[in-house]
Amino acid sequence: MDLTEKLRNGCSKVKVLLVDTEPERARLLEAHLASAGVTETVRPQPGEPLPIAIARTAPDLVIVDMARPDRDTLDDILRATHHDPRPVAMFVDVDDPAFMEAAVEAGVSSYTVVGAALPDVKPILRTAVAIFRRYRQVEADLHRAEASLRQRVLMDEAKRFLMKHRRMSEPEAHRWLRRRAMERSRRVVDIATELLGAAEGEGSCKDD
Amino acid sequence: MTDRTGAGAETMRLGLLRLTDAAPVALAAARGIFAEEGAPVALSVEPSWANVADKLAYGLLDAAVVPPPLALAMELGLRPAAARLVVPMSLSLNGNSVVLAEALAAPILSGGIRPPALEAGRRLRRLVEGGLRPRIAVVHAFSTHDLLLRYWLAASGIDPETAVELSVVPPPEMPAALAAGRIDGFCAGAPWGGVAAQMGVGRAVVLSSAIWRNHPEKCLAVRADWAERYAPTLRAALRALLRAGRLCDEPAGADALAALLSGSDWVGVPSELVAASLAGGAGGEVDRSVFAAHAAAFPWRSHARWFATQMARWRSLPADAAERAERVYRPDLYAQAARELGMPVPTADRKTEGGHDAPWSLAAAPTPLVMLPDTFCDETRFEILGSEAVAAPPS
Repeated sequence: MDLTEKLRNGCSKVKVLLVDTEPERARLLEAHLASAGVTETVRPQPGEPLPIAIARTAPDLVIVDMARPDRDTLDDILRATHHDPRPVAMFVDVDDPAFMEAAVEAGVSSYTVVGAALPDVKPILRTAVAIFRRYRQVEADLHRAEASLRQRVLMDEAKRFLMKHRRMSEPEAHRWLRRRAMERSRRVVDIATELLGAAEGEGSCKDD
Repeated sequence: MTDRTGAGAETMRLGLLRLTDAAPVALAAARGIFAEEGAPVALSVEPSWANVADKLAYGLLDAAVVPPPLALAMELGLRPAAARLVVPMSLSLNGNSVVLAEALAAPILSGGIRPPALEAGRRLRRLVEGGLRPRIAVVHAFSTHDLLLRYWLAASGIDPETAVELSVVPPPEMPAALAAGRIDGFCAGAPWGGVAAQMGVGRAVVLSSAIWRNHPEKCLAVRADWAERYAPTLRAALRALLRAGRLCDEPAGADALAALLSGSDWVGVPSELVAASLAGGAGGEVDRSVFAAHAAAFPWRSHARWFATQMARWRSLPADAAERAERVYRPDLYAQAARELGMPVPTADRKTEGGHDAPWSLAAAPTPLVMLPDTFCDETRFEILGSEAVAAPPS
């Protein structure tokens, strides 16, 4: 019975091979897949190449983290089908390119191994995409927070430098950085970095 | 990974992998050549060819450095995520090698000298006839590597479909896969053959340039809709890549280029291994890449047809595949950019492949070009008569 029939009959088992290098996300995804109708989620063994994992677990659907470089090998499985008559197709919903774009952007890609009619596996993939996207959002937020903190530290250091070596007040130092950034159409943080870099070159920057 | 955040719509999001032959793109970005030409380009370093293809297909990239067979496979719909693409330029010639594990390489390289390609193939055939079925990996199902490896095996009397077991392994993982015994050999681009040799796990038994001398290797593939909409930006990017390609062809700049490429944000291997396949490099496990000299970057329609013909040799392709492949290649776009730089432009879009065993002169405007030898290991000539391509035996 192929996956379409399985899902249509609302029955039996849908097995997903989940290939995600991010353990936290994989755990989360596994839990959500269960609620989307996936009865069994399997993972590759450590170091196991994808084609071997697929041969071993015979999944209905493969969901893979795009950051895995060996995703290339899944394209190869398409080629190998004339040795193994089981139809294999990358999950692509041609009717909904926006959804596939969202999936690719979120960093998830999906392949059916038994050749299902595409709309039927969509709920499962939607779940995966939602998790990946949320995870990516969290990562991006963290990134931004770190960057903004780094920038603040840099700005403070540059101001301290100006106050100490050029005898400016704090507001003067602030204005000096702003003005210079405007004159050179650069970001204030770049000016601060440059100032500190130049000062470090002269060996006079660090005051602690 | 870089994205379009803060960039204008005309910014070209350009995807690539960490390989030595990404040199012109890396250099154009690092030296500000894209900016000088007025081409806003945001590079996006991707983990795999599949990622590059998917992102290109769904419009998350506008352009990418790819092996030509991948671009053609996307255009022909051989890979599920199809896309309309144009190839306005080639990016490199040569640069791959077939590396075999020491146990297989030793009898082929006996005497310490790498034999001619067909002799190496005959020696491998003897091993295969003795009962071996080597597991050889290529970098992607649709790659120059796959087609050249198959070409060499078939020319040597080894059936690539049955006598060997072909698989796909990402290029940077090849040396480790060989060391772990998961594969017996691979065909990959620089520097991975050199890395395997340095690890002592294998040696190059044939260079891709010995299968087809100065074969086209990577090309620039651009989404057709983007190329049309942002034609001036594309032309500026092509100028930048041509200029960068010429710099990459300069032996004098090889050390600095190798230092740039060997950084951990690029290839991430020692610079002498990267330098081996650059102009003036030591060669060894790989031949040197050519980027812009000798019309290397010209997107020859005869190259497109050769790739399509070879792809059709091993899998079923639409009947009009060769014609469609030729249309993907756009020498007219190359010509505009090259003329703006004062570079000579070939006067024909096709040439006989495999007809020259020595440097030769090609009609070009305003001045003729010196072209590199282009012979195949089996001395076949790939000629295009009218719209028909025929592979003819040596005359």
